[in-house]
Amino acid sequence: MSYNYIELITLILLAIGCFFILSGSLGLIKLPDVFSRIHAAGLIDTLGSGFIVLALIIYSGFSLLSLKLLLIPIFLIFTSPVTGHAIALFAHESGYKPKGKNKK
Amino acid sequence: MAKPNKDSLKTLSFITYFIILFVFWFILSGYLKTLLLFFGVISVLFVFWMSYRAKALEEDSLPLKIILRLPFYWIWLFKEIFKSGITTTALIWNGKYSPQLITVKASQKNRTGIANYANAITLTPGTVTIEVDKKTFLVHALSKKLSEDLQTDDMNKVITDLDR
Repeated sequence: MSYNYIELITLILLAIGCFFILSGSLGLIKLPDVFSRIHAAGLIDTLGSGFIVLALIIYSGFSLLSLKLLLIPIFLIFTSPVTGHAIALFAHESGYKPKGKNKK
Repeated sequence: MAKPNKDSLKTLSFITYFIILFVFWFILSGYLKTLLLFFGVISVLFVFWMSYRAKALEEDSLPLKIILRLPFYWIWLFKEIFKSGITTTALIWNGKYSPQLITVKASQKNRTGIANYANAITLTPGTVTIEVDKKTFLVHALSKKLSEDLQTDDMNKVITDLDR
């Protein structure tokens, strides 16, 4: 058996992360307006980067390096909603109406 | 346990903040020599003094009560992110999205709780908080199912319980 388990798990997790990043990029092109595109960007920020960092942590084993890697998703958790909220608020304040049916 | 008064609680939160800053410094540097650890303490003290001077250490911004519950909350939040992420991915691929605006009520008491709730909504894919009034959020959701999940108020209750 040429693979060991750690490499196999890393491969699977990297593939899942790449799939979410692909879906997010597709959504950025495909979805109709600014507000919907923020959802796609959020998908890349949370699930895409999350799975890839998880794969790298498993690959590097438990060391100082994996703790440093763990800091990346922690910072993303605090910064990514702020950027999404800033874009959404600015689009809303400047009078941009979301497409689709609205009930207030 | 006797009820802690305000000053001792404040001291405790200062100590916690100092420990968090020093652990952060240690993770980023990884040095174990005495001289370098001493320099680390000095730089941590400098950051501490700056954030004290900027009044970033009020009670509201460093809630000690929730620190122990935070890991459980994060595990729950990751589960929610994963669930709604799967839904959003399916919506992107099959194209059956119907964007809509809804209003959501928040029942948190202090500013940290409200910011926490708004960020949690934005962090789960498929829902974005657009505007925060005093107690209501204007939320943009990608589909009817995602907005109905939000209106069941589960997330609101969990985050309100976090601060009890």
